[in-house]
Amino acid sequence: MSKLFKKGRLIGVTSLIASTAILLTACQDPQQTGSGGGDGEEGGNGGVAEDDLRAGEDVTSIPIDGQEISDGGRLVVAVNTEPGTLDPTFNGTMQMRQVAEPYCEKLYDLDDEGGVVPMLATDMPEFSDDGLTVNISVRTGIQFADGSEFDAEAVAISLRRHFEEPESVRASEMGPIESIEAVDEETVEITYERPFAPVAAIFADRAGMIMSPDALEELGENFGDDPVCVGAFRVVEHVPQTGVTLEADPNYYDADNVYLDEIEFRVITDGSIRTANLQSGDVHIAAPIAAQDMDEIVGDENLNAMQTASLGNHYFQVNIGNQNGIGTDPVQIETPIAENPEIRRAFSMAIDRGALVDSVFDGWYDVACSPIAPNTPFATEASDDCHEYDPEAAMELLEEQGVDIPIDVEMMINNQPENVRFAQALQAQVEQSGFNLSIVPVEGTTLVEAQREGDYETAFQFFSGRIDPQANVNNYLETGAASNFSGYSNDEVDELLQAAAATPDTDERAELYGQAISMIHEDNPIVYLYRMRNLLGLSSDIAGVTYYSDGLVRVSHAAFVEDGD
Amino acid sequence: MGRFLLTRLWQSAITLVLASIVIFLGIRLLPGDPATAMAGEDASPEQLAAVRAELGLDDPLFMQYMAYMGQVLTGDLGRSTMHGNPVIDMIGATLPVTLLLATYAMVIAVVFGLLLGVLAERQRGRWPEWFANGAALIGLSVPNFWLGIMAILTLAVGLSLFPASGYVPFRTDPLRALYHLTLPAIILGASVMAVIMRQTRASMLETMQADFVRTARAKGLSRIRVLLRYGLRNSLIVVVTIVGLQLGMLISGTVVTEQIFALPGFGRLILDAVFTRDYPVIQSAVLVVTFGYVVINLIVDVLYSVINPKIRVGGGR
Amino acid sequence: MTVVESGHDLGSNRGQIWKSLRSSTLGMVGAGILMLMAAAAILAPLVAPHPPTHVNFGLSYQPPLTRGYVLGTDDLGRDILSRMLYGIRVSLQVGVLSVAIAVVVGVPLGLLAGYWRWLDGIISRLTDLMLAFPFLILAVGLAAINGPSLNNAVIALGVAQIPIMLRVVRGETLRIKASDFVTSAEAMNASGLRIMGQHVLPNCTSAIIVQATVIIPVVVIGEALLSFLGIGVQPPTPSLGIMLSDAQQYISQSPTAAIFPGTAIVLICLGFNLFGDALRDALDPSNANT
Repeated sequence: MSKLFKKGRLIGVTSLIASTAILLTACQDPQQTGSGGGDGEEGGNGGVAEDDLRAGEDVTSIPIDGQEISDGGRLVVAVNTEPGTLDPTFNGTMQMRQVAEPYCEKLYDLDDEGGVVPMLATDMPEFSDDGLTVNISVRTGIQFADGSEFDAEAVAISLRRHFEEPESVRASEMGPIESIEAVDEETVEITYERPFAPVAAIFADRAGMIMSPDALEELGENFGDDPVCVGAFRVVEHVPQTGVTLEADPNYYDADNVYLDEIEFRVITDGSIRTANLQSGDVHIAAPIAAQDMDEIVGDENLNAMQTASLGNHYFQVNIGNQNGIGTDPVQIETPIAENPEIRRAFSMAIDRGALVDSVFDGWYDVACSPIAPNTPFATEASDDCHEYDPEAAMELLEEQGVDIPIDVEMMINNQPENVRFAQALQAQVEQSGFNLSIVPVEGTTLVEAQREGDYETAFQFFSGRIDPQANVNNYLETGAASNFSGYSNDEVDELLQAAAATPDTDERAELYGQAISMIHEDNPIVYLYRMRNLLGLSSDIAGVTYYSDGLVRVSHAAFVEDGD
Repeated sequence: MGRFLLTRLWQSAITLVLASIVIFLGIRLLPGDPATAMAGEDASPEQLAAVRAELGLDDPLFMQYMAYMGQVLTGDLGRSTMHGNPVIDMIGATLPVTLLLATYAMVIAVVFGLLLGVLAERQRGRWPEWFANGAALIGLSVPNFWLGIMAILTLAVGLSLFPASGYVPFRTDPLRALYHLTLPAIILGASVMAVIMRQTRASMLETMQADFVRTARAKGLSRIRVLLRYGLRNSLIVVVTIVGLQLGMLISGTVVTEQIFALPGFGRLILDAVFTRDYPVIQSAVLVVTFGYVVINLIVDVLYSVINPKIRVGGGR
Repeated sequence: MTVVESGHDLGSNRGQIWKSLRSSTLGMVGAGILMLMAAAAILAPLVAPHPPTHVNFGLSYQPPLTRGYVLGTDDLGRDILSRMLYGIRVSLQVGVLSVAIAVVVGVPLGLLAGYWRWLDGIISRLTDLMLAFPFLILAVGLAAINGPSLNNAVIALGVAQIPIMLRVVRGETLRIKASDFVTSAEAMNASGLRIMGQHVLPNCTSAIIVQATVIIPVVVIGEALLSFLGIGVQPPTPSLGIMLSDAQQYISQSPTAAIFPGTAIVLICLGFNLFGDALRDALDPSNANT
């Protein structure tokens, strides 16, 4: 072979890089800091609410409000992960809820304040006096996308499938159900073994999605191949890893208020590329927007931004007694951080949550100290309480425990870039108080498996959050619960949590959860760190979109406006 | 030729079986299984156990492998554990995208590689050579995911020349399909183009100095005709070899390109299947890749002996 | 990626090789870049102005030429220059170690496959298998089993290069085996292993070295790719790939943070490519006069 060059010419390479640098620097934004707690206020139109957005105010709706709309059109929504099977009974992913929003309505839905409202049901659930029987009245005279009739029998068939199929991932969240029957055309009666409070909230999620009995009959467990529900749109095509295409459903009961012809959900995993696609106009909505890109979206006059405080949380978890995996009895692990709650408290005090959120997420996320989001009806003073950041006191507390300082702690994390960045910041912070935190990034499935099997010392993980606190609190902290990866067990906490789950009254439940969380703040099996905000960017010519605390962008009634500002 | 083909076919079959065993055992070594990935955040131990039983994950490995191979031989690749779709449909939907992308990238790489290679040889010591060499060096030295992101930020967002994502099936609209794939194909083909350019230039230089070329020129054939008649033909042999060697690399390269440009391709299918422990999908996808590699190399070998019958290729003889 | 076909014994004409290398301007530029990079890597602990993992929350996203931070800081206020110096270290480490794997495994197998026909069939099947197997899956698998780490990245990247090195050496061996001195050695009843060690291997050296210079840039880019996918080097160790994938996340805040590690990768690869080309010419006199 031969020489490459006769003479050198590196200038070409260098100048290309330099020009890219200049080009990019030109669109640099000034740095912005500041964090705040979302307080449940509803925002105004996107774009105008720039300061509100920065201050953490929710912007949950961009209404059409009499603007001139152009009928029809194809809306492209960029989402971050593949939804998985489109069958609500068998799907364990979060993304499926997003994709299902236009094609599969639920018995209940959320409203802009985090409350639950009827959707395919006509009223809130009616509890019998002993709390064991619940009646849900449902719509009649409407049709599934295949034209078949919707009635209480169809609802009962779907609910039974969610509950009884051996592979169903819905069954465990549906509570201690004994039977599900349609008592007449418009009433479904559910009986429980024990009183179970979160009925409406559960049916505002995937367990409340109702499938066409005809389609179920035909496709059986392959319902996900061609799902048929009640919805403004119906599924045309699903290409795994790529997206889902939907078209307007003429059989929909509220078809008059549906304007788009088609919706495409496009999977774009990388955050900055999602943003780039939004800016280039290749997609109309991007959800979620990475916190680091939010300033740029807010500053772009062709784009609007929306945000809501989320229900989930990112947490630091200590393996206290999970030696043999979930489903086995807790056995105390004999390391200082597992045995001594004071060490865990010192860890919590060593964390400046506000500074972390400001530097890693440019202030777009909120600090979290408990599994109950402050903007929900279940928040109390006790649940909002937090260990004060005090690195010196944390160090002193640690010294009092008679352990070698620095104390070595191994933290397993999901290897997503955002998590890795946060973990490094956390590592630097707790180092000040005598914690030598080493980071072990593993890929997502490995982390979940390690948590389940108890093969970890501590972990940094997140929970996407549910409407009802039962899923957010009981499931993680009650002895033997499915997600109690810490192997934490405290009889008093168990009693409080069980009482809370069985109490229908919201205020009473909130009070009980508050008491439980005060005890958690003593034991600290889980140290809560921050709460993502649901961040969304959309083109300014889109209206009729809502975005609530479950982080789903509701696009069923979206439209292109003629004169986008 | 017949014997040669037969040997190659036999060898290919062995490679395929080996690959199926390696991947089958390999993915079962990974922590977590399809049930972990499927069941999601709220799964209870009972649910996981039910899913595992249903998927046959509790059976001995040997039984699972035999069951799987039995299925494959009857043409049934099973269903994705994560998506519930038949694996054959998922591969059928994604593979054409990747093949189109890879072919497009290869065409770009070959055309521009040859062009730049010839240009560099023709214009030695002048700016076209420097330009060609510079382009080749960038292709070899820049990580292609980085090149892709830069291209999106500058060409798609900044200048709006190309779409940043999205895919139009070739059958619906060939022109728009190619338009959407142009940027990804350039990014994907960049490093292959660099290799081809350099090899072309080298082999042209070599050929042009060979005795028979000097004779031809002495007989009065113009330089350009000599170049086309002898130089390019020899370069083609090199190009065919490289195409064969690089196509496997290209398939791996599509994973990232597809991810960055959100293309519904095969590469992403595989990567995501590994992340979600989607055993049936990984197993079948790797079989398809191995099969593709084997077939392509077979074709290359045959092409090779057609272009230059003097050279006999292939191991084992 | 490029497969080198021929080479000559290194020992016999060392002086000539040097002369040829020195006369190549580009080769020297390449060598210069590489020496600079090597110096950066070795001296990183001495010359880095800050500890590479030192976080300073108050100083994030500083632009280049900020006082005390020549190249600015990243999202956590860490000094980009210091991280780059250490990152170059990691990249070169990955490059060299991966090549070592490819050489240690690929060269003996290549020799055996080229020399003994009966082994060739088996080894070639294994090579086919490895070439056909997407290396990314191997990398993801290793990361899933052992967690992402420098070692796993090196193993995945090195293993992926084994078949290529193997093929180069096998080709060389086939060529050398047909030469007169091997035939005469065989006539003198020298054992196969001895011929391989004494005659074939030394004659393969130049091809191996040149192939190594081709592999390193591929591997350096490979490390960046693995880090981009979150299965590379373990944080907070700075690697150029991690810096690049981190920086890509906050590219709207601080584009320069992405330019510098990218440039470093390009320079390393450029250095190896330029130097490798010159080396190839020097080692292969038949082409050197073009």
